[in-house]
Amino acid sequence: MAKLESLNRGIYIHSSPKSERVARFFTLLKALAVRDVTSRYRRSSLGMWWAFLQPVILMLLFNMLRGFVNIPSDGLPYILFSYAALVPWTFFTNAVAACGPSITTNAEVIKKIALPREVFPLAAVCATLFDFVMSAMVLAGLMVWYKVQVSIALLWLLPLVVLMTAVAFGVGILLAGLGTFRKDFIFATPFLTQAWLFITPVIYPLSTVPENWRSVYMLNPMVGVIEGFRNVLLKASAPPTEALVWSLITTVALLSIAWPVFRRLSAYFADVL
Amino acid sequence: MANDVTIRIEGLWKRYGLPLPEFVRKGLNYVRTKRTGAEDDDGPWALRDINLEVLRGETLGIIGRNGAGKSTILKVLAGVTGPTRGRVEIRGRVFPMIELNAGLHMELTGRENVRLLGAVMGLSNREIEAKLPDIEDFTELGDWFDRPVRMYSSGMLGRLGFGVAVNIESDVVLIDETFAVGDLKFQNKSLARVKEMRESGATVLLVSHSLETLQFVAREGILLEQGRLLIKGSALQAINEYEKLVFRSEQKRLEHRVRSRISSRDVNIYHARVCDEDGRSLTEVESGQPFGIEVDLRLNRKLERPMFSMGLLNAAGILCKWNISEEDGLVVQGDSHRYLLKVWYPENRLATGAYEAHFAAREAASFETLERIAGIVSFAVIGPERSRGIVSGKCLWELVPHDDKSGEDEAA
Repeated sequence: MAKLESLNRGIYIHSSPKSERVARFFTLLKALAVRDVTSRYRRSSLGMWWAFLQPVILMLLFNMLRGFVNIPSDGLPYILFSYAALVPWTFFTNAVAACGPSITTNAEVIKKIALPREVFPLAAVCATLFDFVMSAMVLAGLMVWYKVQVSIALLWLLPLVVLMTAVAFGVGILLAGLGTFRKDFIFATPFLTQAWLFITPVIYPLSTVPENWRSVYMLNPMVGVIEGFRNVLLKASAPPTEALVWSLITTVALLSIAWPVFRRLSAYFADVL
Repeated sequence: MANDVTIRIEGLWKRYGLPLPEFVRKGLNYVRTKRTGAEDDDGPWALRDINLEVLRGETLGIIGRNGAGKSTILKVLAGVTGPTRGRVEIRGRVFPMIELNAGLHMELTGRENVRLLGAVMGLSNREIEAKLPDIEDFTELGDWFDRPVRMYSSGMLGRLGFGVAVNIESDVVLIDETFAVGDLKFQNKSLARVKEMRESGATVLLVSHSLETLQFVAREGILLEQGRLLIKGSALQAINEYEKLVFRSEQKRLEHRVRSRISSRDVNIYHARVCDEDGRSLTEVESGQPFGIEVDLRLNRKLERPMFSMGLLNAAGILCKWNISEEDGLVVQGDSHRYLLKVWYPENRLATGAYEAHFAAREAASFETLERIAGIVSFAVIGPERSRGIVSGKCLWELVPHDDKSGEDEAA
């Protein structure tokens, strides 16, 4: 006797061992992520190149912008400075955008088969992670070109990627859960991420943010992530401690709200799809 | 839970939609209707107080009209949607075979989709790879198996989905209208596979509108009507009850629905009814039992040769019986008076189903039609046996060895 849906007033009990369910979850996650990756670029001429192109185009745009306005870059080449932030940022926006409709696009499966519904937004995030790796390779190329010195601080990359994924997943499931009931949340997603860009040090450094605003500013979990990537990759140092700690706290807070909300809502997905 | 009970449903109620807290719902209603007095309606119950136990190895057909809650019960059992009230307990690997082709991804090939569906169904990678040849074989897609699914015909899509479904072993199988897929050969293969699953001890729950399929596949049956469980018994019992339900509703539809009427002032019709030998009014006639139709009418002038006709039409509008009073020996004069016209059918050969009667009154001497009513009365013929067609009656069959070889060359 394992699965107890106490969220409903009614009770549904289905006996199956936990280990089996966990294994099933990961098999499914992998299959869905593979599907998303392989199917996304079929029938497009540029195919996988889109994964590289997106951050590159954004980088060029910001570079142009910098031609008109003076944006400090902590003494680094601006191309490198912006691209190192744009790679995780593009991941974040794409992952959130992919999460939103992940329930509705898989409606046919969700309506018919009992699955842990988290698997769909999570698969969307994982598939975006693939694009992230692709664009990170361009970044690596740029770093070699500019002869950037790297250090043992590169080991920070893994926890930073995990944190970045967690933030995207947290925001994503919240939007996916709510967006399944009200489309408004999905329509609002691009505006949300655009606005989010301006309160995140992607095109400008954290150092330009006024000192007295910084404590509020750092409540944004992406600040720690982006600044962390920059420090680790370009400055050969550990991520800024304060920003990282705040990022961690807000991410945990975000997930502890978003996940239960999603679970609660997911019980009724099949009813409204 | 006793060992051989696979599914136990206790007091299950189900209503679709997100249950909102009271104040949220009131608030929303206020915004929508601009008045608080409006009754807050959460929508209808899809299932009402279902109690059911299904034993291991049972093959249960779920029968009911559209919207009776057949698919909902499968969805609740599959765990796709939670019960609103009550308790549902299910044991073993549950496998819902519900319109699987919907889960296919159009840009992927058949093979890739099989892997995906396998994972969705809860198979491990190893299991999927082991099953892949069987599935490829079963779907009979040949080269198409490695082409994108978007190029498939609908039959091929269905075969792909069903091919996966059918090759997965599980303890409880839920089937919703999947048999209509593919050609006859494929359907037979599918049915054979369901039979195999049943023999291997799986519990099979089956929803189908095809009563023939149900009668063939299911041993037990339940009948649902408006979310309620009406009957649990053998598949045949459930099917018979279902047909009664359908006939009754058809009869209701035909009732009081005079579809066309031509009348003159010469005849008034007050009432018509169907009755039995003892004169009791009926809406349902037992199959094979004699019955009569009475028409309460008034002639407003003297008729030299009044002639009446009564036609019986089935629900499809086919005329099953037509009688004319004069031919059947009623030769009388009619005065300006009120009469009760009695039509008696001593031999009832009507097959089970819903019927309506068409009535006409004429003056045979002048060929005048005085009154013609389509749908003057309606009734259902109900019986325990399942005969199909327009007429009922016995049929004897024999299979005799035959030595004449003349026809065989042509057949070969």
